[in-house]
Amino acid sequence: MGGAEWLRGLSETDLAARLDEVDYVAEENVVTTVYLAVQLGRPLLIEGAPGSGKTELGKALAAAFDAELIRLQCYEGLTAENALYEWNYTKQLLAVQDGSGTVPAAEDGAGTEVEGSSVFDESFLLERPLLRALRAEGSTPPVLLIDEIDRADAAFEAFLLEVLADFQVTIPELGTVRANQPPVVVLTSNRTRGLSDALKRRCLYLHLEPPSVEKEHEIVRRKVPELDAAIAAEVCAVVAELREETFLKPPGVAETLDWARAVATLRAEDGNGSLTPGEIERTIGCLLKEVEDVDRVDESLLERLERAAATAAAGATPGDRVE
Amino acid sequence: MNREWDRPTEREQAQGPTGHRPGETVPDFGAARRHVIAETVRLARRLRRRGVAVPQSASVDATRALAAVGLGDRDRVASALRATLLGTGADIEAFEAEFPGYWLRLRAGLEGIAVAATGDIEGRGGRPGTEPPTDPEPDQALDVTDPPAQEGEAAPQTGTRPDIMLSTGQREATASTPTGRAEGAIRRYSPDGRREAIDVTAGRLTTRERRQVERFVAALAGLPGRRDRTAAHGRRIDLARTVRASLETGGTPIALPKRTPRRSELRCCLLVDVSGSVLDAIDRSTLVAVVAALGRAARRARTFLFDSELREVTAALDGARDEPAAALRAAAGSWGGGTRIGHAFSAIRERAPTAVDRRTVVVIVSDGLDVGDEETLRAGIAWLRRRAGAIVWLNPLAVAPAYEPTAAGMSTCLPYLDGLFGFVGPADLGAAADQIDRLGLDGPVGLPYHGGRAPGEGRP
Repeated sequence: MGGAEWLRGLSETDLAARLDEVDYVAEENVVTTVYLAVQLGRPLLIEGAPGSGKTELGKALAAAFDAELIRLQCYEGLTAENALYEWNYTKQLLAVQDGSGTVPAAEDGAGTEVEGSSVFDESFLLERPLLRALRAEGSTPPVLLIDEIDRADAAFEAFLLEVLADFQVTIPELGTVRANQPPVVVLTSNRTRGLSDALKRRCLYLHLEPPSVEKEHEIVRRKVPELDAAIAAEVCAVVAELREETFLKPPGVAETLDWARAVATLRAEDGNGSLTPGEIERTIGCLLKEVEDVDRVDESLLERLERAAATAAAGATPGDRVE
Repeated sequence: MNREWDRPTEREQAQGPTGHRPGETVPDFGAARRHVIAETVRLARRLRRRGVAVPQSASVDATRALAAVGLGDRDRVASALRATLLGTGADIEAFEAEFPGYWLRLRAGLEGIAVAATGDIEGRGGRPGTEPPTDPEPDQALDVTDPPAQEGEAAPQTGTRPDIMLSTGQREATASTPTGRAEGAIRRYSPDGRREAIDVTAGRLTTRERRQVERFVAALAGLPGRRDRTAAHGRRIDLARTVRASLETGGTPIALPKRTPRRSELRCCLLVDVSGSVLDAIDRSTLVAVVAALGRAARRARTFLFDSELREVTAALDGARDEPAAALRAAAGSWGGGTRIGHAFSAIRERAPTAVDRRTVVVIVSDGLDVGDEETLRAGIAWLRRRAGAIVWLNPLAVAPAYEPTAAGMSTCLPYLDGLFGFVGPADLGAAADQIDRLGLDGPVGLPYHGGRAPGEGRP
C-alpha cells in the first residue's frame, strides 16, 4: 500500500501546487474537497453544467500525481460485462477448434485428472477499465474517471456500488481480484437524471460552479498561451457579456477555450488590435451551438460585445462594466 | 442541552474536567470533541428539516472530514461539510442558510472551552468543577479613596467621592485605565473609557427567568392600541351592546357591557448602554442573555448598543438564536467605553428615526452616569418623549435602597420617563412587570413610588 500512503501524506497546499503545475486553475473549495476525497478514501462525485471542467479535473488529477488515467465512459445500456471484463469469445472458439485449448477433462477411470490448458485463462481475458483499475501496478494508485454516470442505468449503478465499496470483484473462473492500492475514483454527472441515494451516500459531493471572470482569464492564459494576454482579457469580457443573455445553451469554459484557440489561430497571420464584430461573427460557431442562439446574434448584440471588449482592453478588469 | 453524549463519561469525571490536576490549564479536549460532534449532528438534523436528503451516515463522514480539515478556517470547514452532507446542487441554498449559525455556535463553544482553560481573572464563566469565586460580603465596599489623577484624563465629573457603593460580586474591579490588577483597583469612569472586546458567552436563562422576561414584555405590550375587545371589566362602555342588551329590559340599560384594549404584541426599541460602568454593575452574560430574550419575545425589537458610539445589532441577534454573544461580537466588536447618552439619542435621530414611532416602547438600559453634554441629552430625551409611545428606563444602580436619581444624566431624563426600574437580572424584570400590570404604564410605577430591592436579594 505504499502508493496510497504517499498520496495520503500529501497536504492541501501540496495538492494545490501540483494542480497549479498542470495548469488546472481551481477554486479553494475544489482543492479542499479533492484533498478530503484522497484522505478519506472516498469516491468524488462532481456535478456541474456541461463544459465546466469536470472531466478536466479528473485528467488534471492524474497528470498531477503522475498516475495512470483509466477512463470509463458511461452510456445507456452499459453493462457489467462491458465495464469489468469480457472473455474473448472468438479466440476461445478458435482455440477450442484448434484443440490447443480444451476444457479440463473429467476424471478418467483411473481417477487422475487430465490437466489441459483451459480456455478460461488470462490470455483470453479482455480487461475493461474497472478491472484494469483494480489490477493496476505502479507506485501511485491510478485515477479511475467514470464519465457521465447519469447516463448509465440504475442496474449499472448498483453494480458500481458493489465494486466501489470493497474494490474487489470475483471472476467465477479465475477467482477473486483484489486491488492492492484502491484507485482514486472520480465520477462526473451532468444531472440529466438524479443518481441513486446509495451512490451519493458513498461519495463526496462537489458542485463545480462556473468560474469568476478573473479565474476564467487565468484559465485562458494558461491553456492558450499563444493568445496575447490583452486579447485574452477581451475574450473573457465578451464571453461574460454573452452569458448575461438568455441562450438555450450558454457558453461554458470549454467553449471559451475553443474560441480563444480559434481567435489565436486566425490571428496568427495578421492579428493586431482588439476584437472586431466581424471577427466575433465569423467565429460565433465556437461559442453558440444551437441554431436559435446563433440567430439571436444581431448587430446590436455585436456592438455590445465590442464595447465590452474595448472596456477590457482599456485596462479595466474584465469584471467591470460600463453602465 | 444535556443529552447523552454531552455528559462527561465516568472516566472523565473521575479525572476532573480537564483531566489534569487542578492548577494546570489544559483545554478540555473531551468537551471540545463532544461539542463538535453535537453541533455537526444538529446541523445535519436542521438540514433534514429543511428538506435536504442527508443520509444517516453523513454525520459520521462529516466529522471525519472535519478531523481531516481542521476547525480553523471557515471556508475549508464549509467545503468539507458541503462535500459530505449534500447530494445535489439544489441543497446548497439550504446549506448556506444554516451554515452561519452553525459556524457561530461551533466557534463560540470552542472559544468558551479555551477561555475557561486559560483561567478567567474576574470570576465570570466559572465552570462546574473549578473553584467558585468567593462572594464578597454584601457590605464590604470597594476601597473608598480618591481615584488617582491620571495623565491626560479629566477628573471624573461624578464628584470626588462615589455616592453609591455597590458590591458587584466580582473579585476584582476591572479598570478602564487600570491602576493595577491587585485587590482594590478602582475603576475610573472617564468619557473615553478604553474599550475591550466582547468575550463573554451568553448565560442560559432558566425557564423561570425566561418567563419573567416574557412577562415584562407582555406588560409593556399593554400600551393602548386601536383595537378593543369585549370584556367583563374594562374601562370603556360598549354603547352598541348596551343598547342591544337594553331591549331585554324594556329599553332601560341595566347591563353595561365593557370594552378593554386588546393586547397587542410589543414593538420596542432597545437601547443598551454597554459602557464600563454598566458592565461592572450587571453580570455580562446575563445582560446578553436578557437582551437576546427581549429581542425574541417582542414582536419587533430593534436593538442598539451604545457607549460612546451607537451600533445597531438587530440583524446580528436575529440571525443567531443560540449564540447571541458571538453575534454581538461579530457585529459590534467591543464594548466598555465611556457613556454618552445624549450623543446616542441624536445618533438614533439621524440614522434610524423609524426605529421609534407612536406605538413603540423605548427601553433604555443604562445607569444614567452621563458625561456628555447636558443640552444634547435633554434635546434627545425630549425628542424620544415626543415620538415614542412610552419610555422605560432600567437602571442597574437603582436596586440599592439608598439610591436617588440625582446623577447629572439621570436627573435630566427623569421627568420624561414613564417608569424607572432597577435591573440587574430577570427577577427585577418580573417585579417591574407586576407593577406595570397592576397600575399601567401611566400610573405610579417604578421609582420613587416603589423603592428598589435591597442588594443581595435574588442576585443572579
